[in-house]
Amino acid sequence: MGGSASGLPREALGEYQELTFLTKQEILLAYKRFSELLPEEEKENARSVRIPKSRILTLPELRANPFRHRICRVFSTSENGDDSMSFEDFLDMLSVFSDSATSEIKSYYAFRIFDFDDDGALDKKDLEKLVNCLTGEGEESRLSNAEMEQLIENILEESDIDKDGTINLAEFQHVISRSPDFARLQRCISQEAALPGGWAKSAGPGGSSAVS
Amino acid sequence: MAAETGSAAARSAKSCKKYRTVKRHASIYTYQEPPHSNSDNDNGEEKADRHDPEQIFQNIQYQKEIMSNIRCRPWPMRQKLRALRQAKEIVLKYEGRLTRTRGYQAAGAELWRKFIRLAYNFVVIFIPWEMRIKKIESHFGSGVASYFIFLRWLFGINIVLTIMTGAFVVLPELLAGAPFGSTVSKTIPKEHIASAQDLDTIWSLGGYLQYSVLFYGYYGRDRKIGKAGYRLPLAYFLVGMAVFAYSFIILLKKMAKNSRMSLASASDENYTFCWRLFCAWDYLIGNPEAAESKAAAIVNSIREAILEEQEKTKSKNLAVTISLRIIANILVLLSLAGSIYIIYFVVDRSQKLERTKKELTLWEKNEVSVVVSLITMIAPSAFELVAALEMYHPRTTLRFQLARVLVLYLGNLYSLIIALLDKVDSMSVTDSEVNNNASNSTSFLATKTLPEENNLSTTIPDVQIQTNTTITLEDSRTTNLTVSDSLVNKTVSFDYNTQNSQDQCWETYVGQEMLKLSIIDMIFTVASILLIDFFRGLFVRYLSDCWCWDLESKFPEYGEFKIAENVLHLVYNQGMIWMGAFFSPCLPAFNVLKLIGLMYLRSWAVLTCNVPHQQVFRASRSNNFYLAMLLFMLFLCMLPTIFAIARYKPSLSCGPFSGQEKIYDIVSETIQNDFPAWFNTVITYISSPVVVLPALLLLFMLIYYLQSIARSLKFTNNQLRMKIQTERSEDKKKVVQMAVARIQNLDGSDKRPEQESDIISQESSVRSSTPRKNGSVLNFESPVSKGIRIQTISQSVAQTVPLADAARPVNTTPATSASLTPAPSIPSVQKPRSDHITNRYPSVVHGSASDLCKTKPYTPVTFKKHVEDVHSEPLFRKGIRQVNPDVVGAGTPIFVGRRPHATRYYLVNEHESRKKLLRSTSRLPRHFRMDEGGDIIELYPRNVRRYVVRTPHRMYSPHPSEEEEDDEEDLRRDLMIRTHRPRSLSDLRPAPRFYIGEHADGHVLMGKDIAKVHYKSWDDGFELGLDRPPYAYKKVHLKNVEVDQHYPEQHVKPKSKHKLEQSPTESDSVSIESSSDPQNSGNDQYIQVIHSKEKYLKPGAKLTKKKSKNGVDLSVAEPNELVCSNV
Repeated sequence: MGGSASGLPREALGEYQELTFLTKQEILLAYKRFSELLPEEEKENARSVRIPKSRILTLPELRANPFRHRICRVFSTSENGDDSMSFEDFLDMLSVFSDSATSEIKSYYAFRIFDFDDDGALDKKDLEKLVNCLTGEGEESRLSNAEMEQLIENILEESDIDKDGTINLAEFQHVISRSPDFARLQRCISQEAALPGGWAKSAGPGGSSAVS
Repeated sequence: MAAETGSAAARSAKSCKKYRTVKRHASIYTYQEPPHSNSDNDNGEEKADRHDPEQIFQNIQYQKEIMSNIRCRPWPMRQKLRALRQAKEIVLKYEGRLTRTRGYQAAGAELWRKFIRLAYNFVVIFIPWEMRIKKIESHFGSGVASYFIFLRWLFGINIVLTIMTGAFVVLPELLAGAPFGSTVSKTIPKEHIASAQDLDTIWSLGGYLQYSVLFYGYYGRDRKIGKAGYRLPLAYFLVGMAVFAYSFIILLKKMAKNSRMSLASASDENYTFCWRLFCAWDYLIGNPEAAESKAAAIVNSIREAILEEQEKTKSKNLAVTISLRIIANILVLLSLAGSIYIIYFVVDRSQKLERTKKELTLWEKNEVSVVVSLITMIAPSAFELVAALEMYHPRTTLRFQLARVLVLYLGNLYSLIIALLDKVDSMSVTDSEVNNNASNSTSFLATKTLPEENNLSTTIPDVQIQTNTTITLEDSRTTNLTVSDSLVNKTVSFDYNTQNSQDQCWETYVGQEMLKLSIIDMIFTVASILLIDFFRGLFVRYLSDCWCWDLESKFPEYGEFKIAENVLHLVYNQGMIWMGAFFSPCLPAFNVLKLIGLMYLRSWAVLTCNVPHQQVFRASRSNNFYLAMLLFMLFLCMLPTIFAIARYKPSLSCGPFSGQEKIYDIVSETIQNDFPAWFNTVITYISSPVVVLPALLLLFMLIYYLQSIARSLKFTNNQLRMKIQTERSEDKKKVVQMAVARIQNLDGSDKRPEQESDIISQESSVRSSTPRKNGSVLNFESPVSKGIRIQTISQSVAQTVPLADAARPVNTTPATSASLTPAPSIPSVQKPRSDHITNRYPSVVHGSASDLCKTKPYTPVTFKKHVEDVHSEPLFRKGIRQVNPDVVGAGTPIFVGRRPHATRYYLVNEHESRKKLLRSTSRLPRHFRMDEGGDIIELYPRNVRRYVVRTPHRMYSPHPSEEEEDDEEDLRRDLMIRTHRPRSLSDLRPAPRFYIGEHADGHVLMGKDIAKVHYKSWDDGFELGLDRPPYAYKKVHLKNVEVDQHYPEQHVKPKSKHKLEQSPTESDSVSIESSSDPQNSGNDQYIQVIHSKEKYLKPGAKLTKKKSKNGVDLSVAEPNELVCSNV
């Protein structure tokens, strides 16, 4: 199944399987995808190299995602804040977005993705940014101020249980867990099934053969 | 010991949980530490637990739990890896000590886990079309993919159905049943044999196909076939029922699972806006075009929601729209009725044609299914047009559309099946007429003989045979059959043209129609995909350049993938299968093929020439909706079949049930003949009204009961929610209060570091200095007013002295302890701080200051050591104090209370509670080192306070005693402190000398000078006060809070940030203390003394000694110099 050529040591593979929701094939695929993003000379030590954000964002799965910058930020463990990703960060991301990840962890990361200022609560600013991300940049697609205000007001009214003007993680998870979209397919909120499949797609025939 | 370790383990577990929850709620996402601390703890515990197998076992269990849950923790990979490895290491290391069986158990479990993983990996490979669906998902989002997932699920169901019918009905018939041509029902009638291989015969499923296992009529009526005596008719009946039963069960199971997963459908909580926003984006979309349209859809939905919200208040009564809607509904109803009539008419016509015309054209043969398929294709579009009239909200429109289409499909199927059953009726009429004719012609003999010769395949031939000849039935059956055939034909021919006994197999006829319908439907699907999607796509794609308008965005556009309609089509298709499965056992197998083809074709079409639907029907919600429709369909499709089975007499000439009055008689017959008598009686009892009626009643009662339970659960649910809300709001209030309190506190502590104007510092220093100058009393009072702990100071003095004494003996090994504590305990997090500290030290350096104070009287060498220690240890105080022991060893008078702990606690609490706490615990013992002289009392006001306060909160206390301590113990401490304080104060006060170490220089100043220095030193955070005798050092005060705050400001800013963040996060009490500290610097010092004493006291053995010495110390202490270091 391509394991031999993958360059991932067995133990590491085992550990990754234990630490993520991915299957062996998916990890191998992810590894392949990851090393494809690297320049030739660095492919050998793909596990120790960090890929800059700009290259990560070229992935088709992230390219169209309005939250791609947030995703990079949330999953990157880079210390200098450049949002670069190591292979392990990459795996983390895939794991969270995989089908089998629990909705709790998904909602946790979804919350972090939406928490634009990283202050642990979704306040009006965060929500505004979120809406703007969703609606895109276009003039006519953007909501007017009044609309925005009404929307945010409604959202807070619905989800802000303790009425402190922000949505904290618990409230967020409460609301999200009630969502049929989130609970059932679990695809809505967090890219869930997406990436592994997506990877396979963009990995081409080789990728799909590895998995199927 | 065991108990201790146990409690420690429990504590660690608790801390884990706490930590987790804290993390969850923590606003700032710092996840670096937890695994670390975790592992540290574990290691520490392991060592402690070494001798207790139970503990080891528990620990291992705990570690294993960590290992199994680790993937669910939101940590970065590196951290998870580390935690996993550590946990594994521990497990490996200590597992050997357990009993063998436990080891084997663990090994077995591990093996099993590996196997499961392998199996899972393996199984994943075999999930059909996984990659294909994922690919579609990544292009079009989960909505479109849900269609394919649904299709795959149906495919799975059909596979099972196929296996059921194949294994229990078709295969036995093929293997053991009478071969083709051996009986009437299995031979093609002579007059048809010529055309049996014609294409159009095959096409209309006649000829060889008709007399094959495809249809009901082919199956033999022998009760048992083969050597093993397989009861084919019984199996046929049971499988037919099992198909429905299985479908029901699997459907209900899936629906239950879905509804369990989505609590939304049950609860009336509505988070429209939140869902619309938070769940809006389909993360699977990877295609920029799809992303664009998705963004547009999101904007639309949001605007819609807002509009709806606004319109809720408005009252809208537009006569026009209402009348339009009425008209639209009338139109829809008309078209529905029309379609139903057309179908009925067509079926009727085809039957008439069949009777009257010998040769049917291709069109005439397929008329029915073609018309039905055409209607199913065209009507939905017509409905869509009509829906445009209604001007509903798009979502409502979609729902209406779906409902109408569903009704249409159902109407089609029903009118078809009713028409067919109508024909069955007429067939049975012909049957009876044939019988009549036969009986007429054969006179009364027929009626007599009939009952006797049930074995014969057809009653009619039997009658004939009987009348015509006396040959034994067994021998002559075949020969007679032909005779009888001709005879019957003759007799019947006047009434009916080509009605043949074999043709009257109405079950086969129904099966044929259903299969035909399914095939035609498939053809139409393929055609529509090609025409509507593919060719249109080609046309738009390649001709748009040379066309007068933009084909891609205006009229033809690209085909949309209409999820809802397509899913409905699948449901409809499955309904046909269910309806026909009983009469055509191979229908599920055919459907499997059809679904496979559909899967490939659709996915290809979607990927090549479709664009996502504008209004995406919510995948998940619709999913449950799909299932509901499917269930509805299943029920409605089951009805006709059941009705036919119960109502109609099976055909006489064909099929496994021929000759029976009703199809289900096979069951009772089998029970009667082949089961023991007692079973039969039991069955009769059970089926008697005596049992059935009460059972029914019981069922009703059960349903009612469950319903009422569900209602009450809902009610309690609501109440609980209300409760949560009120409690939350109360919590909020508390938090607000705490925050207010904290802010007030912060005004004291935080502002200084941040704003730190000279004035403030001066004020604080003044306060601190004034108490000293004036005497202990003043100091005490001031602290009391500001901080809770401060009050206790007066009392504490007495104890502090003894503690100091007790510390002395410990001091013999000060150097080692000092060195030990810093290195192991320092966490990665603390390191940065320590670095800062080191940087700062050279300039300001408490350690240096304290050292200086000490060193002056003694030896300079120690100073360097101290500095080093300080570097190694993140916390100033520790280092300093530890250094002190060294000094003491050198012969310096003393030093003492190593309160480094306190500082650490402080840090720990704020940032990472766990690690620091643990570390602090490890360090505690070190604190005990007391100066030989015993005169020196370390005053760590802040540390003490914090320490006390925090320990209760976090439950982590360095010393065992502390650990055990609850709030009560804290109170005790406070009391202790109080007792001690007076003494220390009094002692200290008398000696007016103050040594203030500013910066690294550590100047020793006289009292007055000191006072001035204090102000300056405040900023630096150093206050060193020396009492009279050089050898007797009261203590070096390192105010943790002050130190922390001051340092960052002056020297290193990063630290200050840390602290600032920490302080807000701290609990109110902590913050209060910290805030009070800066103000009451002088008091703080005293408090610190108390702490040291407490700690000293903790070591039980030393306590007695200390106490004895305390008295001495007291006296000594008085003369002692106060060394205050404000850092």
